[in-house]
Amino acid sequence: METRQENSRVAFKNALIDLAQENKNCVLVCSDTILVVKAGDFEKRFPERFIDVGISEQSAVDVSAGLASCGLIPFFVTYSGFITMRACEQVRSFVAYPNLNVKFIGANGGMASGEREGVSHQFFEDIGILRTFPNMTICVPSNAEQVKDAVNEVAKVKGPCFIRIGSGRDSVCDIPGQTAFQLGKAQIIKENGTDVALFAMGFILPRVMEACEELKAEGINATVVEVSTIKPLDVETIAKVCNKTKAVVTIEDHQVNGALGSAVAEVIAEHAPARLKRIGLQDVFPESGMPDELLDKYKIAVIDIKEAAKNVIANK
Amino acid sequence: MDKIKKLEEIAFQLRKDVITTIYKCGDGHPGPSLSSTDIIVALYFEIMNVKPENHQWENRDRFIISKGHACPTVYAALAEKGYFSKEILPTLRKINSILQGHPDMLKTPGIDAPAGTLGNGISIGAGMALAARIKKKDYYTYVITGDGELNEGVIWEGIMGAAHYKLDNLIVFVDNNGYQSGGKVDKISGILPLDAKWISFGWHVQEINGHNIKEILEAVDIAKKTRGIPSVIIAHTIKGKGIPLMENDNVWHKGAPSKEQYEEIMTSLGGE
Repeated sequence: METRQENSRVAFKNALIDLAQENKNCVLVCSDTILVVKAGDFEKRFPERFIDVGISEQSAVDVSAGLASCGLIPFFVTYSGFITMRACEQVRSFVAYPNLNVKFIGANGGMASGEREGVSHQFFEDIGILRTFPNMTICVPSNAEQVKDAVNEVAKVKGPCFIRIGSGRDSVCDIPGQTAFQLGKAQIIKENGTDVALFAMGFILPRVMEACEELKAEGINATVVEVSTIKPLDVETIAKVCNKTKAVVTIEDHQVNGALGSAVAEVIAEHAPARLKRIGLQDVFPESGMPDELLDKYKIAVIDIKEAAKNVIANK
Repeated sequence: MDKIKKLEEIAFQLRKDVITTIYKCGDGHPGPSLSSTDIIVALYFEIMNVKPENHQWENRDRFIISKGHACPTVYAALAEKGYFSKEILPTLRKINSILQGHPDMLKTPGIDAPAGTLGNGISIGAGMALAARIKKKDYYTYVITGDGELNEGVIWEGIMGAAHYKLDNLIVFVDNNGYQSGGKVDKISGILPLDAKWISFGWHVQEINGHNIKEILEAVDIAKKTRGIPSVIIAHTIKGKGIPLMENDNVWHKGAPSKEQYEEIMTSLGGE
């Protein structure tokens, strides 16, 4: 499985420039994050629609709410945790509650995306927090093309949306059969068989594909499902796959509580009984390091995915 | 009739509406609502360009009651302006009501922004003022904050941002009644000197008697003529203003009058 790196941050910025060209209501809001997404060219082309409020994320969310209430479509970009934790209450009470048309772009989504910066800049609780807010749409694309698609898709939604992006050095791989990002759809991207289902979100997808290949070599036929919209969740597709396989592993760069693992567990409990193992951060704070080292140390390695798969199959 | 006198009469009526609303609801914040009343009357009945029959009119002036717990006065003003029937006022805080305990812009016609958790009105107002600039509109955005509310950090983020962006279409009132929930502002976490703080943050500052309609109107006129920087009007007010039982007694920060107290108030004011 060949992996390479893409820049999901610049992919967002480029998609927004294209969108802003067509839609005069699109505004970029930064909190001293112009360099995070290399948005100098956006500022140059649309100076009147570029707003940098400085290092004040709570104010940035409020300003975005004010802009949206007057018919504009603000895209506020900063690190994911500064949106979902520093400004959590502003997101809830002043954007989600009044269903305002604000788009949040959260960088450093996950431990691997924050990598060497350490825990203060690694955000692995973001999706779990946002999933509890009514009206919120949550997207976790897995490559630059999907980020672009997601930006275009959320622009069509009238209401608050969140797109999780990465470090700018985001691992991707070519997956034959992976089609364009579709909002609200879980996508079956590999269907070797029904021994086990592997549900994944975000930039850890190459690891999941690698585990799938290695499992096949050992005679275990997996179905890989990419869940790139966490809310609204494609319950139908997830339940269908769980019913077929009865053995499920979720893989995410997030705490196992609150995001993909929890969402799939809820579907299993309510709609499609199956054995489940959740791969992700096991209720711990990680540390600084290189992305691959971190994912391996914190048990999101290919071998961990394979072991979990074998475990749930054995307990069907 | 003299313009000022007419506005004073509206304020007198709205104070009675606020007390009646809170009495019939059995809950609310009478003290903070009464200190804001004259500013809200001046805004809705003289200053602001709004269309109650088309409450989402794109060119309307915007208003944010950042101290959202003073919403009974805003609701009374909206009803008086004709956004909805006065008969709806007693449904405040009751199930299925369009009048939430704190402002809800989706449920209540005329409410431009949510409020209730303190500190956010100035930044939201800055967003509205920036939107006017982007969309080349000439509306103004007005915000009322409390003085206790100025404890919030995000308030100062908004104050800095509005000055940075030279938002001269943003006018903020501080309803400076001297109290917050737990007691006197200067005893809890003092915010003085207020004027020097705002000046140093790059704002045009005026101080007025927040119960003098003429001073409120004049201050807004001056604020509108001030170009290149945002304006704050520090309005010195009395918590519970207009109801002697409640004036400067922080017991009335939150709570409803008893039947006897309500009847006594209304009798002293000449009836509902």
